[in-house]
Amino acid sequence: MLLKRLILSLKSKRDGGSYWSPLFSKKFLEVLDAYLMLLPFFIIFGIFAVYSFFYAFYISFHKFNLLSSPEFVGLSNYVKLFKDPEYTGYAIPNTLKYTITVVSIQTFLSLVLAFILDQNIKFRSFFRTLYYLPSVTSSVVISLIFIWLFSRVGAINSILGLNIDWLNNPKTALWTISTVNIWSTTGTMILIFLAGLQDIPVSVYESASIDGANRWDIFWKITLPLLKPVILFVVVMGTIGCFQVFDQIYLMTRGGPLNSTLTMAYYVYDKAFGRGLEPQMGLASAAAFILGIVIFIFTLIQRRLLEGRE
Amino acid sequence: MKRYIGFLAFLLILSLTIGIAQPQKTVRLSGWAASPEETKLLKEQIADFEKANPDVKVVYEPITGDYWMRLQTMLAAGTEPDVFYMDVYQSAFYIKQNVLLPINYYMSKYKIKPEDFVPALINAFAKGKIYYGIPKDFNTLALFYNKSLFAKAGIPEPTDKWTWDDLKKAAKIITEKTGVKGLAVPADAARFIPFALANGGKILTKDEKKALIDSPEVISAAKFYTSFRKEGIGIIPSDVGAGWPGEAFGREQVAMVLEGGWMVPYLKEQFPNVKYGAVELPSGPKGRANLIFTVAYSISKRSKVADAAFRLVAYLTGAENQLRVLRSGFALPTRKALEKEITDPISLVIFKGASYGTPFKFGIKGHVVLDNISKALEQIYLAGVSEEEAFKNAAQKINTELKE
Repeated sequence: MLLKRLILSLKSKRDGGSYWSPLFSKKFLEVLDAYLMLLPFFIIFGIFAVYSFFYAFYISFHKFNLLSSPEFVGLSNYVKLFKDPEYTGYAIPNTLKYTITVVSIQTFLSLVLAFILDQNIKFRSFFRTLYYLPSVTSSVVISLIFIWLFSRVGAINSILGLNIDWLNNPKTALWTISTVNIWSTTGTMILIFLAGLQDIPVSVYESASIDGANRWDIFWKITLPLLKPVILFVVVMGTIGCFQVFDQIYLMTRGGPLNSTLTMAYYVYDKAFGRGLEPQMGLASAAAFILGIVIFIFTLIQRRLLEGRE
Repeated sequence: MKRYIGFLAFLLILSLTIGIAQPQKTVRLSGWAASPEETKLLKEQIADFEKANPDVKVVYEPITGDYWMRLQTMLAAGTEPDVFYMDVYQSAFYIKQNVLLPINYYMSKYKIKPEDFVPALINAFAKGKIYYGIPKDFNTLALFYNKSLFAKAGIPEPTDKWTWDDLKKAAKIITEKTGVKGLAVPADAARFIPFALANGGKILTKDEKKALIDSPEVISAAKFYTSFRKEGIGIIPSDVGAGWPGEAFGREQVAMVLEGGWMVPYLKEQFPNVKYGAVELPSGPKGRANLIFTVAYSISKRSKVADAAFRLVAYLTGAENQLRVLRSGFALPTRKALEKEITDPISLVIFKGASYGTPFKFGIKGHVVLDNISKALEQIYLAGVSEEEAFKNAAQKINTELKE
């Protein structure tokens, strides 16, 4: 009944008058409309983001295995987290190693490729599509393909003439996953750089070449400085994405071998649901909060730096 | 008005027939997803049960992917199925969490006697005299070997009388003569533990409060187990790009594996051309040892249809149905009376393993124990850590967890 009234009010408002206009002001109805449209989102956001956020915060101070009721333990989950050699000895260093590798290589590679693709080369749109393709492919599919490529009997070994068990060797596993991620995300970064490159006015280039600058000078003295905010954006977005890396690790190594691919995000899953062990929701929530804080700080830095340019 | 009467009468009859045809109780049954053949058999059994019990409708909801994660979340959310699989190594934890229904009342009501079952199996799902599940089948480990590779190497096939020395010698000769590695020795506690036990080692103290895997017996067993790969006559599955030893065996990339009865339908389906046999696990310095893997049907404590659920469990674990499972080659029966029905050679080997086997169950935190043993083996293989160090660390980690 209420719904019918609301629909009617929306309909009649479109026609100028309102079914409810004697009761409510026009402004109120407009606001009501807006909230009504937003309602589905708010419900989902409320349950899966706001409620979960506060519940996870609450759980991070409790001992909770999903089956028995939560037991308050104060800060001991946070203490346990930083005393856990898996977290401090593997998860944090692995995440840092991974992030630094992926972000630096992916930024450099995508900048170079974007610059090439911005030139007037043959088959430009073909290459643009090709590089972007991995970004629209499901990470599950990519991971499964790379498991085969990097297996001991896979293509990579036979091309390179090596006999390395890339994903089962603690020395190579993290680098292999880094490679996968560089390969799959570079396309998106190229896209962002391309947009940035097109933003640079042609007139700047023209006047530079009139002044006698060669292509090298133009790249270093014009393109790069003008692209700085875009580079910053790519670096920060890449960093945040790297901190959250989960699906490739879940599918390819499950944090192994010997914790060599255990990252901060996978640690959260492993403590909550991993390996059929007793769920340690408190510890997992604490780890999730630490990860959240780290990402939050990076986001703040990004905003500061981006606001600074305007 | 009159013309509606016929219509109304029709509606009335329709609603009545629907009311009669509709079963009153719905029992939800879940387990991890099995092979298509196994699933088909289970579905047939369910259909027969529904025929015999018209008041019950069974909904089979297999869980693909991570079974324990799903079960845990469903139990937390109160949406768990009425009947679900319970693995022996997880049972103590779930019993302690008080989520399984004690079934003694229903067992006496429907005259299901615990004595009818193999004691080691049914007791694995009990706490004292209170039962929390009825084992549906079991398995042990056997030494599966590739007949063609043995013939090619020109050495006699394994026998039940084999010892560790024979195993090692054969693995060496096969590797030398055929180029195929002798034995799969994965970094898996479920394959290593029989070696530890056959060497006189123990996993936990009697009260299950302390790990004993740092003992000299376990460490020397670990040295023997890992020596296969170290000496180049053994593999872990990833060495040959396989997901598990059975796959490497099927592809004829390894001559011998330590696996259970699940190999039979797997090989039949995936690698029908492989000629293989199976014998009992070779005996160690301190005699024979094996592991008994078993899965039970447990009922949720909150089930609103516990009676119907129990009838389903009783039916599926009944003599007639266990015989059907045995005949199709999937697993061995848990009822004592069916022992004489086991006739095919591989099933007999698996069955004999149970007589000296230990249930695959290591206290309330069994998963922690197994996980740390597997990780210790992984450290030996991949990081070159010494057996002593790896197992001392593992024991320490388990003991810290057990104290909590």
